[in-house]
Amino acid sequence: MDYRSDIFYIRQVKEGKINAFSHLVDRHKDKAYNLAFRICGNREEAEEIAQDAFIKAYRSLNVFKMKSSFATWLYRIVYNTAISLVRSRRNKILAIEEFPADAFDFLRYCSNQDEADEEYRSSLVNFAMQKISEDERGIITLYYYNDLDLEAISKITGISRSNIKVKLYRARRKMAEIIGKTENKIVTYHG
Amino acid sequence: MDKQEKYDDDLLKTFLNPDRIEKAPAGFTSKTITRIQIEKQSSGLTRSFFGNKNRIPLVSFAVFAALIIISVALPATDINPSDSVIWSYLRNPVISLPSINNDFFQNLSIPGWIPYSFIGFVMLMFFDRILFGIFHKHGK
Repeated sequence: MDYRSDIFYIRQVKEGKINAFSHLVDRHKDKAYNLAFRICGNREEAEEIAQDAFIKAYRSLNVFKMKSSFATWLYRIVYNTAISLVRSRRNKILAIEEFPADAFDFLRYCSNQDEADEEYRSSLVNFAMQKISEDERGIITLYYYNDLDLEAISKITGISRSNIKVKLYRARRKMAEIIGKTENKIVTYHG
Repeated sequence: MDKQEKYDDDLLKTFLNPDRIEKAPAGFTSKTITRIQIEKQSSGLTRSFFGNKNRIPLVSFAVFAALIIISVALPATDINPSDSVIWSYLRNPVISLPSINNDFFQNLSIPGWIPYSFIGFVMLMFFDRILFGIFHKHGK
């Protein structure tokens, strides 16, 4: 386990040690990739976005003033890159996978009930995420997956704190509605 | 937080497991570091290529600058730098500028409005360039 701070590695990179940057990539890659994936909904594009973000961060490391954390700074690059990519697409709507009609299908692929439940919930969340806008997906990811507060999310997205609150409320409501409706459908379908 | 909001929040917290994030694919770190190393090498090459590519204008600029400095620094007499050979040459327009034979224009009989329309045309051209510059910047 690596307990050294990001600042330690940033200083090393600034001294010309490229390999020190690999520690920063290793530490933040999953959350950066997850943010990109949740916004753009495509694994290949998410990998490209996350890699580009790390490269941009490396290039601009000399101007990084360490006023915010490295993670916040990196997520801002990922968020902006992913949002611009989605907005530049001709077809902004993601290829929506319909939620499997048979919830019990999960049991076939999973070894036990708990795993099946977990898989089922995760699929429901992914399904609901596809139905909200790209900036809402970003905000939901930063809030729930990256566990950031409104202040940090505001710094990353460039949206005011009060606006984040409104967007979070709407996105949460939409997702809860979709999850509720989908669950009801499944219950009705299976009696 | 109102009741509905709290319910929505709780519902999402139940369904959304922060530990189940989409993980970066295998080899992500090494791929990223390789891309950085390649970029670093190519940017080094680009820098040296920039010097090679611009060698001729750089040399001509250096020679031109050196000539100007010499013309100012080496006067014809020791008293005044402006007495240098180059300065005295440049100060004499008859020698330094080519003579223009404007007999052709003097003998030409053109309608009086043509010079005015030409000036108007040039002014409109400049105006058009300025407008293009402004709106092009806004468009970006």
